[in-house]
Amino acid sequence: MEKTKAVGLILGIIGFIIPLMIQIPGLSLAGHLAMSIFILAAIFWMFETIPIYSTSILVIFLEVILLSAEGLISHTDASYSPVAYTQFVATLADPIIILFLGGFVLADAAVKYNFDRNMSRILLKPFGTDPKYIILGLMAVTAVLSAFMSNTATTAMMITVIIPILAKTDISDPARISIALCIPFAANIGGVATPIGTPPNAVVIAALNQQGVGIEFGSWMLYAMPLAIVMLIVAWYLLLKLHPPATSTLNLDLKGEWMKNRKAYTLYIVFALTVILWISESLHGIRSSIVALFPVAVLTLTNTFEKEDIRKLPWEVLWLIAGGISLGIAMKETGLADWVIGSIAWDQMGYLLLLSLFGVVAIVLSNFLSNTVTASLMIPLGISLATSGIIEGPASILIIGLVIALSTSFAMVLPISTPPNAIAVSTGVVKTKDMIVAGSLIGAVAMILIILMTRFYWPYIL
Amino acid sequence: MKPKIYILVVEDEPEVLDSIVRDIAEFEEYFEIEMADTAEEAEQIIQEILDNEHMIGLILCDHVLPGKNGVDLLIEMQKSEHTKPTKKVLITGQAGLEETVKAVNEANLKHYIAKPWEKKELVNITRTLLTDFVIESVKDPLKYMQVLDAQRLAEEIRTGRHITDS
Repeated sequence: MEKTKAVGLILGIIGFIIPLMIQIPGLSLAGHLAMSIFILAAIFWMFETIPIYSTSILVIFLEVILLSAEGLISHTDASYSPVAYTQFVATLADPIIILFLGGFVLADAAVKYNFDRNMSRILLKPFGTDPKYIILGLMAVTAVLSAFMSNTATTAMMITVIIPILAKTDISDPARISIALCIPFAANIGGVATPIGTPPNAVVIAALNQQGVGIEFGSWMLYAMPLAIVMLIVAWYLLLKLHPPATSTLNLDLKGEWMKNRKAYTLYIVFALTVILWISESLHGIRSSIVALFPVAVLTLTNTFEKEDIRKLPWEVLWLIAGGISLGIAMKETGLADWVIGSIAWDQMGYLLLLSLFGVVAIVLSNFLSNTVTASLMIPLGISLATSGIIEGPASILIIGLVIALSTSFAMVLPISTPPNAIAVSTGVVKTKDMIVAGSLIGAVAMILIILMTRFYWPYIL
Repeated sequence: MKPKIYILVVEDEPEVLDSIVRDIAEFEEYFEIEMADTAEEAEQIIQEILDNEHMIGLILCDHVLPGKNGVDLLIEMQKSEHTKPTKKVLITGQAGLEETVKAVNEANLKHYIAKPWEKKELVNITRTLLTDFVIESVKDPLKYMQVLDAQRLAEEIRTGRHITDS
């Protein structure tokens, strides 16, 4: 086993054992076990001792055998009423998982019928030949697509679009760096705009749902899209300042054809209908998770999406989300989250300072860790902060949830921060130091904006 | 240890061998290049590579060799499970039609380069075939983007769904 993974394994096992050897007053046995699982999961996720989705399943497994009513341990402590094991396992089919499944089916079908590539072709046309506006166009298209498809798939597709463009630009032209960098940045930024844009959103929304706080598809867009739009423009401006194009014309010359068979048309119609139904949830009242079943049902029954396509769906991402949701359940039900929050003297800190702290920790951590994992580790604590009254206000749960979800998505400093970053660096056009500079600036601006939104925007519309 | 991909060059004339290896030098950073001057030496090298759980992506093989000839070597590689995916190329001036047809039919020969070759043709076919190999046999095509056909690898990432959001 590689060194880091071996270190992670040892630390994880030690971390798992420690809470079992000590007696923390005010924390039930279940709370100690939950702490063991939390520490083990955090370390395994950090060191990637086992694949991250594997850690997620391990979390569910350990919760079932150690914490559930049907598990190996009988919990006699009055402060913990054992959770039925079905509740842990059911996270694999949480409404949010169904929502994401619908999104994945739509996205994979879009790739299969080249819908993504053809859409990008059309959307890029009006942007002309000036490199400055072409970069803006690339960013806008990437962001719009990645709001509905995975950031990674959108990046992979847009890379195929920019490779011919890069081949035509002079090797010393800084525009190359702007072009290559703008894709992962725009993909990550676009991902915050809708609930299905990126998995961290899922973990946060599911956790909020557990607290009885529901967010409609359109409402999330109302909260998050302004940030996405502003940050897109900020990132564009920043990239142009850092790497100004040397040439004044770039011919895009995009080729491609729309598929015109019955299955392709089915996809176009189902895609459009689903998006419309999602966005108009407040008009018709059908939940977005229920709407998500529509594309899954229709695309599979028309054979537009076949068995092989179903098998290729990224099920491991759904496991990853489910693990995060179940960790939150365990931490809440065993009282661990409340205990952690209760042990720190927060009253010294102001409301804004507290939110900023969570935001900054989220963005810093998720530069090194998977965004979904960061959200999974932090949202139970954030919610406890709100439910224990340390952060006040009716919308406090929602606000802390948004802070965590959005902050994790703006972690774009290193190639390892997000898969889109890794793909962009692999082209060889972008040096890591270019990414560090631009990514750090964008992350810093985003953090400031998010905190401003907690004070000046969200309280007025929630 | 992550599996490495090897390029095997089999040629009995030393200057020609060196010339081939020089021409494909740009791939050295990402692929291991091994040389052999007989088919038998090649087989030994292949066995070592497979024992270390690495892969042979491409073989550039002369036909007329002391001992076993190139076409027979390629046919045996095609029959063996671990070397079947290897992309097989003949670089030769001396394979007749019959042997070439045998190579195509029984060894799944991917390309025939007649000596003397043009560097550009050799480099292009190396790039194309290694890209094919990476797409078929490797789960993580990202690190080869710079030296292979980036367009095709990116398209493979887009449709192959190996990499996902996390």
